Amino acid sequence: MAAREAAGLPEAIVAFDCVIFSYDFVEVLHRISFTLQRGEIVGLLGPNGAGKSTTIKIIAGILTPGGGAVSVAGLPLPERAIDVKQRIGYVPEAAVLFESLTGQEFLELSGRLHGVEEETLQMRIREILETFNLSSDRSSRLDTYSKGMRQKVLIAAALLHNPELILLDEPLSGLDVNAAIMIKDLIAALAADGRTVLYSSHVLDVVEKVCSRALIVHHGSLIADGTLDSLRESTGQESLEDVFRTLTQSANVEPGVARIVAALQS
Amino acid sequence: MNAIWRALDRFLRGSPLVNALMRRLGIDTVHYWLLVDLFGTLSDRREFFSHLGRDAMSLEKSAWLFCFLSGVMTIVFVSIGMAPGTYFLVFMALSGFLLLTALLAETNNSLMNPVEGLVLAHQPIDGATYTSAKLTHILRILLYLVPGLNLIPAFAGLLLHDAPWYYPVLHMTAAFAVGFVLALLCCALFGWLLRFVPPARLKAVGFAAEMSSWLLYICFQFVPSLHLKLRMPHWLPAGTGLRVAMAAAIGGVSLAIIVLGIRALSGDYLVRVAAIAHGGSARKIRVRRSYLGAWAARLFGGPTARAGFEFVSRMMLRDWQFRRQMLNLVPIAVMLFAGAWQGMRVSPFSGKFTAAHLLPHAFGFAFFLVCNAMPFGNDHKGAWLFHLAPAGAFRGFARGVYARLLTLILMPHLILLPVLAWSWGARDAGLFLAYSAAVSAVYLALELRRIEGMPFSRQPEGAGDPGMMALLLAGGLAVAIAVALQYFLIFRSPQVVPAVTAALCVAAWLATRSSLEAFEIAIRFHLGLMSNESKGIYTEVNG
Repeated sequence: MAAREAAGLPEAIVAFDCVIFSYDFVEVLHRISFTLQRGEIVGLLGPNGAGKSTTIKIIAGILTPGGGAVSVAGLPLPERAIDVKQRIGYVPEAAVLFESLTGQEFLELSGRLHGVEEETLQMRIREILETFNLSSDRSSRLDTYSKGMRQKVLIAAALLHNPELILLDEPLSGLDVNAAIMIKDLIAALAADGRTVLYSSHVLDVVEKVCSRALIVHHGSLIADGTLDSLRESTGQESLEDVFRTLTQSANVEPGVARIVAALQS
Repeated sequence: MNAIWRALDRFLRGSPLVNALMRRLGIDTVHYWLLVDLFGTLSDRREFFSHLGRDAMSLEKSAWLFCFLSGVMTIVFVSIGMAPGTYFLVFMALSGFLLLTALLAETNNSLMNPVEGLVLAHQPIDGATYTSAKLTHILRILLYLVPGLNLIPAFAGLLLHDAPWYYPVLHMTAAFAVGFVLALLCCALFGWLLRFVPPARLKAVGFAAEMSSWLLYICFQFVPSLHLKLRMPHWLPAGTGLRVAMAAAIGGVSLAIIVLGIRALSGDYLVRVAAIAHGGSARKIRVRRSYLGAWAARLFGGPTARAGFEFVSRMMLRDWQFRRQMLNLVPIAVMLFAGAWQGMRVSPFSGKFTAAHLLPHAFGFAFFLVCNAMPFGNDHKGAWLFHLAPAGAFRGFARGVYARLLTLILMPHLILLPVLAWSWGARDAGLFLAYSAAVSAVYLALELRRIEGMPFSRQPEGAGDPGMMALLLAGGLAVAIAVALQYFLIFRSPQVVPAVTAALCVAAWLATRSSLEAFEIAIRFHLGLMSNESKGIYTEVNG
């Protein structure tokens, strides 16, 4: 790593090497390899059940791979999972929270678990909640929050400790247009400040606007890894949506649509 | 008790010695106290459903119940002048059994909580810290339950002949030691399960582990006969020294099992718990067309009845909350099984009182638990689906649910028919089972009214129903009278039984008609209530 820095090459913050993962003896990731460099915003794309969330959870130290090697900031997983978790911010796909805590309490818990100094923590919570228009709800229990408000709390909790690596699994789910625009700008600003963002989403036009590079996972295998321009060029397609459809062989959807309509008419 | 706990809590937090000791054990003290506070807050606010909470409501109730039970036993034992040694052993055994039952459930709830895993698994908390915070939560329960079970017997022990003056101290110390060892055993058991059982199976295995105290109870039923048959004392070595060595070896192995089990918890514990939620079984469930579902559709009201039948069938098997509630049936089933095993050869028409007389009433009790638990479910948020159903659909749906419950009467009775016919003769078995099915159907018809709303569509409630105990006592009294009438009046003559059975069938039919209407109204009312709740499922549109 030091040699890479000396050579002026970007430093890899995530190294995923031939990773295998199985749920209940069924292999869902097949020898996936990629690296993420500091300051990159990388889109993680794939159809439902392709293995995107599993990949993110492995990087977050939540799941342990069955084979291969994973490291974050040079720290091997799962051996140094606690140190890795200090360095990452993770927004899960499902907004699972302790429903009986208030927004303020949940953020305080998250910040304190990451060792953020109390004064800094309170300042950050205040700023983030105000920016997200959640100040007036800070003392309400999370079970009274709407889906979008919960999502904002999750994003706030992921950022409070100023992580090096930010893992976003469908972060815009449930957010209103203004909040979504703000999050997209925030992601770009964080990357410009040296943070790495791995952004998993089904919304391809958002990925197209936000990310510089994309990883496409299909049936548990990494089928494409490159800058958006290189992917367009290699597939001969104009938009990321067409690139995706070509690579995942879902270009011809008309027969499927016709079958559904026929079934409904029967 | 809460005041004692708070004082202890303040002392421990402020003690540099305690904090230094914890750090030496690899516990992050900052995270530890944060987690202890978190579990306390969540428990206070009833986030841990079915837990014995820190707000002490459930804990105090359980402690008072234990207190009452041990108080009654103490009066009996002291009045018959039991020997102090026997008195001590009986209470230690009782204390051990009841604590084991309570701690197994609490440890399972507490240690295998996938929601906690989902929220906390990506936080930088090490396993040792998390496990020690959890152990603190579990040990707190002992502070309530051990005195509840033992305080009265400990002091009343002074009234026994030859009891030493320090008996209360001895009794309480031993009771706390038993509780502590059991708490460690429970944690070690779940530690081993977390280490070796695949995440997708953990919930089911944890559920089975909760029942292991009853398994022990059954095993102890057979210990005396096994002891005689296997001539176990002859297995032991002759010399005292060898016996001591053997005991030491067994003790050492047991200790190692406990230590390694608890160490297993402190590894990547949170990650494993989170995997319970992430790692739903990838195995495919075979989709079968249910013949019973088709039968329900034909007889009870078409596709909507089938929807009710199939929905309830699947959720009864798969809903975690419901399955946990059904654990309460295990003691009844165990006792009934043990009784039936002994009384199987004696026909209820013989004039002797046997366990068979209790069978229809056991069904009544089972349906009481089923109907009470049925409105609540883990996946209650999925109830939005029912808001989209046309209002007319609920009549058939309610009938479908009833049809499913009815099969729970018919199937066991049909299975029992050849067994009992072989044992008692075809006439006695046929008459008894017809009567039993009719009584069970009356119970079902009445208890259907306890399903207050759409099945599996309400958030589980932390606090128990305050009227439940009174209802159970009144119900118990009514059942006792019914059993007595049945024994003294009905099963004295084979001619009376068919007449009573016919009358019961008519009663069941009338009661079922009325209850099904009430059930349908309850479903509509509950769904309407959900739609109007400010924090119901539609709050998302406000975001």
